[in-house]
Amino acid sequence: MHQVRLIRSSTFLWALAVAAAFALFVVGLFTFVYWKLDDYLIVRSDRMITTQIQFIADLPPARRIGAIADHLEQDSRGVQYAGLFDAAGTRLAGNIDQLPRELGLGGVVQGVRLDLRGRPADQVPIVRAIGKRLDGGDVLVMGRNVDETREISSVVGEALALGLLPAFSLCLVAGAWLSVRAQKRVEEVNQRVQRIVAGELRERLPEGGTDDPFARLAAIVNGMLDEMETMINALAGVGNDIAHDLRTPLTRVRLALERGRTHAATLEELQDITDKAIAGIDQSLAIVTALLRLTEIENNRRMAGFGEVALDEILREVCDVYEPIAEDKLIGLGVVIARNVQVWGDRDLLFEAVANLVDNAVKFTPSGGRVELALEAEDDTALVRVRDTGPGISEQEREAVLRRFYRSDTMRNTPGVGLGLSLVAAIVKLHGFRLIIGPAPGGQIEILARIGRTGRAVTRRSRTMVHADAD
Amino acid sequence: MNRILLIEDDAETAEAIVAELTDRGFEVQWAGDGIDGLDHARASSPDAMIVDRMLPKMDGLTVIEALRKDQFRTPVLVLSALGAVDDRVRGLRMGGDDYLTKPFAIIELVARIEALLRRPTDDRKTVLHAGPLELDLIERTARRGDRELDLLPREFRLLEYMMRRNDQLLTRAMLLEEVWNYKFVPATTNLIDVHMGRLRHKVDGPGEVQLIHNVRGSGFVLRSRQ
Repeated sequence: MHQVRLIRSSTFLWALAVAAAFALFVVGLFTFVYWKLDDYLIVRSDRMITTQIQFIADLPPARRIGAIADHLEQDSRGVQYAGLFDAAGTRLAGNIDQLPRELGLGGVVQGVRLDLRGRPADQVPIVRAIGKRLDGGDVLVMGRNVDETREISSVVGEALALGLLPAFSLCLVAGAWLSVRAQKRVEEVNQRVQRIVAGELRERLPEGGTDDPFARLAAIVNGMLDEMETMINALAGVGNDIAHDLRTPLTRVRLALERGRTHAATLEELQDITDKAIAGIDQSLAIVTALLRLTEIENNRRMAGFGEVALDEILREVCDVYEPIAEDKLIGLGVVIARNVQVWGDRDLLFEAVANLVDNAVKFTPSGGRVELALEAEDDTALVRVRDTGPGISEQEREAVLRRFYRSDTMRNTPGVGLGLSLVAAIVKLHGFRLIIGPAPGGQIEILARIGRTGRAVTRRSRTMVHADAD
Repeated sequence: MNRILLIEDDAETAEAIVAELTDRGFEVQWAGDGIDGLDHARASSPDAMIVDRMLPKMDGLTVIEALRKDQFRTPVLVLSALGAVDDRVRGLRMGGDDYLTKPFAIIELVARIEALLRRPTDDRKTVLHAGPLELDLIERTARRGDRELDLLPREFRLLEYMMRRNDQLLTRAMLLEEVWNYKFVPATTNLIDVHMGRLRHKVDGPGEVQLIHNVRGSGFVLRSRQ
């Protein structure tokens, strides 16, 4: 099984492919060298026999036989051939038995089959030969065996093959090693992931000290795991909060219904009990609805519903909606708009965010106070500010208020689900804007938005507000 | 009698809705899944439909899209446990249909169905009448009998909407959605009541017959006929 996996692993297959390509290349190189060498040697030998036949042909007829004998004697390797024939084709001298029929006599080198003296007919070599008719009618033939080029080629070939074998093996070994190494790391990752799947959320992948792609991948995955661990923990906390917040109204409902069932004597009493029960259930449902909505916004990464939204219009309308409530509480509600501003976003969600901020401000500001809505714009950023004369949010509470279900201790008895600011934070985050909570006393919350369509994270101005940063 | 087709897979919810609507004088037909519902809609062409979003065999929005493709203009109220931050839902609203998130108060469902069935017919009228009330949309003036009503722009809009739908129950959510044109659930639950209180104070003077009525636990009605 292990061997099969090794052979199938892509690293190993790649190494194999590289080795095969290398081998093909060497074979090609060898063929080329052979072809060039063969060509060169033949040209050289052709030139040599042409010179030789010229030399002997130029001798006086009486000296030719002796010169041929001398020439053949000097050839210790037996690769030279020569023959002198009379006009009738009878051999006069040399080691060639018969005048080859296919040999032309025009002084051009040809590859022909030569019948040699003292050699059986089946060992007749193919040689390069040249024939020439002399003045007296005699025919002179000179030849040379070119088999030696094949010997040289085989030597070169052997040398290349000797080099090829170790290179090929090296490729395979390297491939196998890399493959085994990769598999080991995958196996290690697999074990850790299995532990994470089993619930060990603190586990992380080994990153190693090197900067190879594998280590970088592990670092990326670890970053993701960090984020997920935080989210899962938050979710678990939310689960507890929901259970707690739902239990209170549901307990009341249950008690009311139980009492009603045994004690209600008239229809009016029963209706009264039912109304109380419905109110309790509505409160539970409001919590669930708000939570679902929050999750929906947080998960909604698609921005299909986005368009140009006039922030100034939203501020004016929120003010319009909340004015009577503020008046009833004797709170002055005003809106100051420095410039009309368009941002890229979801109209309903942005309205909801601003409305929530104003709702909170009106709720927590004591009678006779003031809530002010302002829209400022500078270059490419817009700032929505909701300021009130209420108690504000103390530094310790700043992060906590963004958590789901947080209600400051002093406000325990104020009605509300406690998800308002979490909702605002989720909407702001979805838009790539920033939520900035100002220092107490006096409430001040700002939404820093980017003007125009390219709405992503806003950073420029927020750096100067690190102190109040609560995003 | 208005005929309504209800496509809802949960039998108990369906039973409650059918019972309530029948009590109120509607003729209700019930289908338990998307395919069945589509067949019923095509066969009987009801006056309005209530469609659950998640249905067996074919989901609710697909049923509606199929009907719209066949030029069925029946108004639809979509019910769903899912939220409304969704472009397909936005599409519904733009098409004149309505959307209600589960769980809902039965009275909210009835009010919305009645609103769908009784769309304001004449949008081009520039002067609206309801009982002793008269609203001039061009001059932006409002009168009750001979008495001039001094309304803020938001009060004017609220009264206009109520006069277009007089004698009809309007829930808080409907008013918020239609008058301010925003879909959101205010943290302050009596937000609309405060607005309505202001308007009622101006419309129903001392000694006059009350026109704006608070329907306990559900919403408001502008009664033009006493």
